[in-house]
Amino acid sequence: TQMSELSREVENGRLFRLMAKLGTINERPEYEGDRNWSENGERYMLKLFRDYVFHQVDADGRPVIDLGHILTCLNKLDAGIDEKVSLTSRDEQTTFVVTYRELKKQVMAAFAELQKPSKGR
Amino acid sequence: MDGDWEEVNRLPLPPSGEHAVPTPVTTLAFDNSHELLWAGNEYGRVTSFYGTELTQYTSFKAGEDPVRQILLHDRGVIALCSRSIHMAMRRGPPIWHIANDEMKDLRCMSFTSKGTSEILLAGLQDTMFIIDIEKGTVSKQIPAADHYTIMKRSRHICAATKTGAVNILDSTTFNVIKTWNAHSSLINDMDAQHDFIVTCGYSLRQGQSYMLDPLVNVFDLKNMISLPPVPFPAGGAYVRMHPRMSTTSIVVSQLGQIHIVDLMNVNTSNVRQANVLSYLSMVEIAPSGEAIALADAEFNIHLWGSPNRIRFAELSNPVDFAEPEDDHIALDWSVDTPLSSIGLPYYREQLLSAWPSHMIVEVGAPPSEIDPQYLATMKATEWGGYGRNRRNKKRNQVENTRTAEKAPTSLQAPKFLSEKARESANDTSTEKKI
Repeated sequence: TQMSELSREVENGRLFRLMAKLGTINERPEYEGDRNWSENGERYMLKLFRDYVFHQVDADGRPVIDLGHILTCLNKLDAGIDEKVSLTSRDEQTTFVVTYRELKKQVMAAFAELQKPSKGR
Repeated sequence: MDGDWEEVNRLPLPPSGEHAVPTPVTTLAFDNSHELLWAGNEYGRVTSFYGTELTQYTSFKAGEDPVRQILLHDRGVIALCSRSIHMAMRRGPPIWHIANDEMKDLRCMSFTSKGTSEILLAGLQDTMFIIDIEKGTVSKQIPAADHYTIMKRSRHICAATKTGAVNILDSTTFNVIKTWNAHSSLINDMDAQHDFIVTCGYSLRQGQSYMLDPLVNVFDLKNMISLPPVPFPAGGAYVRMHPRMSTTSIVVSQLGQIHIVDLMNVNTSNVRQANVLSYLSMVEIAPSGEAIALADAEFNIHLWGSPNRIRFAELSNPVDFAEPEDDHIALDWSVDTPLSSIGLPYYREQLLSAWPSHMIVEVGAPPSEIDPQYLATMKATEWGGYGRNRRNKKRNQVENTRTAEKAPTSLQAPKFLSEKARESANDTSTEKKI
């Protein structure tokens, strides 16, 4: 029926807008040298979160592509819930325990910064 | 220390990379409100270990230089490096970071008279800093009366100089109240609690080699006088006051001999031997008094205590661990899988995906043209062409293709017959008027 067809697609727009936000803030070259994005800056957790969501691997280091994991994480980020997640850097040196609420706050701050006309760093 | 104390655990400080060589512990601190032990390394990294198992909990980079000291605060951990100071949550994310050109060789820090809302930083440099912890800013810079290596706060701020003296600083004005010459050449370790300062240090023997003094010097802060030293024949290297027994101190030699001595009754001491193959580089006691940690030159951390009662903090809050990810249904990655298969968790605030309403989106502009000259110089391959970037534009620079299209107006569009007729009609009408 039309209703069931519709209900299948309702989440698409929301998830796409979320992905668009994440896409615009991740790995911009102008962040090079910005302390906020460096290893002791507050935005560093966003890099680690991107890896956590999209770069899962199994015990042998092979990529794990799990749509359910991606959707679960993105939905939790969208809502900014208080659940805690453990993030680890690629060299396994840095380990953080952060809440989705904290991650959401950092994404919002980073996105707001991009919208400012010119920051004049 | 009771009769049943023993080595409960031992672990090497994790190296700074997968193939990196282990590095020594540069500082140790027990948490005062969680069952965590904090350690710093030479590369500015701080790592925490949970419970007596010493399971690695979090790890973060506080700076680029060796971590000199770690202080615990309600809101998080403060780590001092030589040229910067960093505050992070116990869970790892940073709260603030301060680096300043005048921070050259910081060594020590202490809370001031304002409880835990302010700290004083000092080092082998002429400036001291006062940091507002809530704001994360330098609130004042003051000239240092001396170069300091260790700071402890009790009744006053006790600051060890690099020449064997201890300056007793007022914790509000930071003026030197009194200087106590504790050792003849330098102070290796110091602790202060309630009314006492205790120190271990070196003197120059036979004019050429530095030797650890075979005694612990004691100073009475209440009466501002030095007390008779506590003899320690093995050479006192490290000393800590027991946090709950106000006159008991724990003295450790470089080779791991541990004495528990009552300052008021120095003749009764309890002796232990830590099993170290090299020499010790650091000793720290837990705020509960039920555990001590020793760091050795082979990069190990030894945890000592009574196996039954060992704990770090007087009153411990639970440590925040990550929640295990909930099991979700296995999704098939196909076009038929609706993205709504996994629902949103319950929420009350605006979603992150909410797109700002004031952003104007322009759609339908023609794509930008690729310079034909550039196309001509490209090398063609089976997957496409490539060539050198002609640097007249930035990478991914946005172009307004609409204005570009309007530009060539010299070429006139052909007209319909009706248009021509109307034009000629207009022409005639104007002619008629004249």
